[in-house]
Amino acid sequence: MQYRQLRIISGKGSGPAEFREALRGIALDKQGRLYAAGDSEVKVFDTEGALVRRWPAALAPHSVAVAADGAVWVGQTGQIEIFNAEGKPRRVWKDGARMGRVTSLGFFNGFVLVGNSAERCIHRFDATGKFLNTIAKNNPLEGLHIPNGVVDFGIDAHGVIHVANPGKHRVERFSLDGALLGHMGKFTGPDPTGFSGCCNPTNVAVAGLNLLCVTEKAGPRAKIYDYAGQLIAIIDAGFDPLTKNMDVAVDGRGRVFVSDTAKLAIFVFEPVGGPLS
Amino acid sequence: MSDAVSRRELLSKLVRGSVLAGMGGAALFLVKKANGEIVWQVDASRCVNSRLGEVGVEACTLCTSECVVSLSAVRAVNDFSKCGRCNVCPAYFDITSAVNELGLPSQKLCPRDAITRKMIGAADPEDPANNFYEYVIDEEKCDGCGRCVMKCKAPLGLGSITLKVRYNKCLDCNRCAISLSCPKDAVTQVPKMAGLEIKLAEHTE
Repeated sequence: MQYRQLRIISGKGSGPAEFREALRGIALDKQGRLYAAGDSEVKVFDTEGALVRRWPAALAPHSVAVAADGAVWVGQTGQIEIFNAEGKPRRVWKDGARMGRVTSLGFFNGFVLVGNSAERCIHRFDATGKFLNTIAKNNPLEGLHIPNGVVDFGIDAHGVIHVANPGKHRVERFSLDGALLGHMGKFTGPDPTGFSGCCNPTNVAVAGLNLLCVTEKAGPRAKIYDYAGQLIAIIDAGFDPLTKNMDVAVDGRGRVFVSDTAKLAIFVFEPVGGPLS
Repeated sequence: MSDAVSRRELLSKLVRGSVLAGMGGAALFLVKKANGEIVWQVDASRCVNSRLGEVGVEACTLCTSECVVSLSAVRAVNDFSKCGRCNVCPAYFDITSAVNELGLPSQKLCPRDAITRKMIGAADPEDPANNFYEYVIDEEKCDGCGRCVMKCKAPLGLGSITLKVRYNKCLDCNRCAISLSCPKDAVTQVPKMAGLEIKLAEHTE
């Protein structure tokens, strides 16, 4: 399977569509619009990569996610800031203990999942903000092994959470109630079928039925795997060699969006010959 | 005329004052150096092996080859507060070597085998990756070649390992041979402060 670069969105600069210092998280909505969080704001781009709107965030964002109702959730330090689709603030969830550093967010059946890199785990809340349970904390390491400082996960259509555990060179699968269901991936050194370096993959997204897209650092690349850990594709074009913690999102047409945190740009790739089923 | 004389006198006094101040500063520097208050140290933000942005290049080994001290007065030091305690440490393992039956790289990186890897806590028999690891550098073996430093820095690692001049080994030469050869001017004379002296490797036990 091969991918080709479709376009590059944003970049380092002072223009309205650019980021000055930081690009942390990306997300897609149902219409395929891209939400990028960095510096101290959220920017929305249309499917062609043109800036649609932008708005400021109260604190520097670490992550962004779009809920089923179109609300935009922005993960920050100690809190989550929630906006409507137009960028008007709705409310703020504060929880200094469970939202130490919110580096990923996800939704499933009315539940909100919060990746907290300060605690190296995921917390599940109901829609009202009531805490329900903790995921990926009950192990000898008392959390995920994330020397890279980011908890990142995706949720598939069955409510299975796929979370990057880079220190173990794995993507681990958890149920919503926190049971470890299994994992895929292992350290394979220079062999690209597995994961390399001290700690990869750093980020993960569900890429379709039984497919995951992950990103790695040093050298930076994105890869497509099936749930069993079979490597499907490698995408390694154009990333800055110093980039790490590249957030990733995949749309319904199989297009892969990868944030380069050094170039402060989002690279868009599309599968040659159409999406994988 | 008297104005011109007074200007000359003023200039003369200024020059004399500057010279005296310079001599005083130099004398103070020499006194401090003699008292061990001024020492040679590696600036990690300049050193090729630890500065960010230098990727895909070989480690610089001048600290080993140029120092007049046996093995070198420069040693690699692991700051445990920054270490990721990884299962596969790129400063310990040669991560490009073949993977062995344990799922780990088959070769070590350090040519002098100066780094030891120790599991923290009890082993998980069901999952060997379920542990943090401590990496301790034996400074008596280390010759400051910087290979581990180069592999430890971001984006591959966290940059917890840096090169440091060990004051108890440094002869405090007036013209440090490493300093003269360092292409990045990374070895400089700095005030010795107690806080700068990173403690020797501390074990968790």
